[in-house]
Amino acid sequence: MSVLQELVAGIGIPNFKVLIPEIIILLTALVVFTIELLTKARFLITVITALGLFLAAIPALTMEQGDITFYGLYSVDTFSLTFKFFLILSTFFVVIVLRPYLESKRTYYGEYYYLILFALLGMMIMVSAPNLVTFYIGIELASITIYILAGMFKKDYLSKEGAFKYLILGGTGTAIISYGIALIYGRTGSFDFVTVADSITQSNLDVGGVAGIVLLIIGLALKASSVPFHFWTPDAYQGAPTPITAFMAVAAKIATFAVILRIMVEAFPFAYEIWNLGWALLAAASMIFGNFVALKQDNVKRMLAYSSIAHSGYILAALAAPTDVAFTALIFYSLVYIFMGLGGFIFLSALERQYSWSNHIDDFRGLAKRSPMLALFMLIFMFSMLGIPPTVGFFGKLGIFLALIGSDIWWLAVVLVVMSIVSAGYYLRVVIYMYMHEPISSARFNLSLGESFTLAFMATAILILGIYPTVFLDISQLLGNFLIQGVGR
Amino acid sequence: MVPYEYYVALSGLLMVLGLIGVAVRRNIIALLLSTELMLNAVNIAFVAFDMKLADVSGQVFVFFILTIAAAEAAVGLGLIMAIYRLRKDVDTETLTELKN
Repeated sequence: MSVLQELVAGIGIPNFKVLIPEIIILLTALVVFTIELLTKARFLITVITALGLFLAAIPALTMEQGDITFYGLYSVDTFSLTFKFFLILSTFFVVIVLRPYLESKRTYYGEYYYLILFALLGMMIMVSAPNLVTFYIGIELASITIYILAGMFKKDYLSKEGAFKYLILGGTGTAIISYGIALIYGRTGSFDFVTVADSITQSNLDVGGVAGIVLLIIGLALKASSVPFHFWTPDAYQGAPTPITAFMAVAAKIATFAVILRIMVEAFPFAYEIWNLGWALLAAASMIFGNFVALKQDNVKRMLAYSSIAHSGYILAALAAPTDVAFTALIFYSLVYIFMGLGGFIFLSALERQYSWSNHIDDFRGLAKRSPMLALFMLIFMFSMLGIPPTVGFFGKLGIFLALIGSDIWWLAVVLVVMSIVSAGYYLRVVIYMYMHEPISSARFNLSLGESFTLAFMATAILILGIYPTVFLDISQLLGNFLIQGVGR
Repeated sequence: MVPYEYYVALSGLLMVLGLIGVAVRRNIIALLLSTELMLNAVNIAFVAFDMKLADVSGQVFVFFILTIAAAEAAVGLGLIMAIYRLRKDVDTETLTELKN
């Protein structure tokens, strides 16, 4: 027997069956890479990427038996599979709107497609990490790929500047996260969530453990663009090509929220008082700062970037309460944020291709007269971000609010409600400009099939989920209970 | 033998130096260097904790950090090249155009 055979016989073969979605994404990325190298057939690359995503979504949705594989380094369970499915879904919508945008901006590179797939792979690794090593590899694969994606606008300086700011602050976040991991490793002697959870308890908290948790929270808050670590967010979002902004604001954010929830609940379940307070403060700061700064933005893309900071605040506020209601609310809000966030940013990406559209608020004047359907879609996205029934954003905020009240955290619940009212100032401003002003130009809009389909799908999903949120609530409840049951395995 | 606490203190010092560098330096290459300095500080911390725990998994983590630092430096230098080609400048004060 060779050395390799002995090794395999000694430790066993990993269960590759549960990794089918990841393997399909990786293979698709390599195939797209080869085709891009050889042919430059643009339509073919889009079709293959979309097909690969579709094929990967099927096993992610239908897999019946999860497993912890790769010798305890990779866990496939209900939680990670659900998030993988939604990550693949949001990437699919980004991919189908990407080509028209890039071509009209004369910045087409085939590299966009496989880099998006690698970033998606990193996020999928991230959400199924039962171990700090796997989590670190996943978050870095996703981050470094997104630095490249954000700076890939051809001959555009703002894109490079935003990407460089993101790189420097993201690199700082990486260093802080790894220092936190080092301290936790030095304190507990393990990277495994379960072992860490057993070693750090309420009674034996010391400087090392607390410092490790705090550094990890700071680094994760930086990745989730929570105030006061948000500096990169508006610049990177404004500079990047708009479909990539949608990808960063939705897919990357959702994966970060999922992994934050997982680490906090599975690795530090008995030190909850520290992270409850930490996330409560960060969430309150994000809500207040994000909403007030968004009020005075004239560029709608930058306004939506600040609004995504505020939304991080709403979502992370749920972590102030260590109950299953709060976890359910967090998962529900992150899942429905996919529809609002993608809707808003892809709306901008579709209109940016039109004649003389610069994303300035004045461009929205009289949009309802020029195209009633598009104005209605934007109205739905804005109302959903604001949280007006019957859109689904209302149920997201209601869930967080009830969770906070259920745990007697009144101050944060009040901040949430007041800041939601403040946010009406800028969301409704867009609606007023669309419906109550006269149009300055009457040029017709020309949307591609993918863009119309995406916008219609997102708007319909927001309305249907707003009237009938039961399915998503059930999923979130299942995942919340699953996380709680995992504690103290 | 030098006790492991000294190495942890050294890594903490380097980490703080890197953070200060990110905060105060105005040259974009120096900014990139500061982030690399922080990642190397983490490497020292990992090796020091390995010494304390008599374990090897921390040293394995160091390899991951080295790889990631290299990837980040490659992307960062690429961006610096692109910025320099477009603006002929490396000073953050004069380069900043995205504001508010």
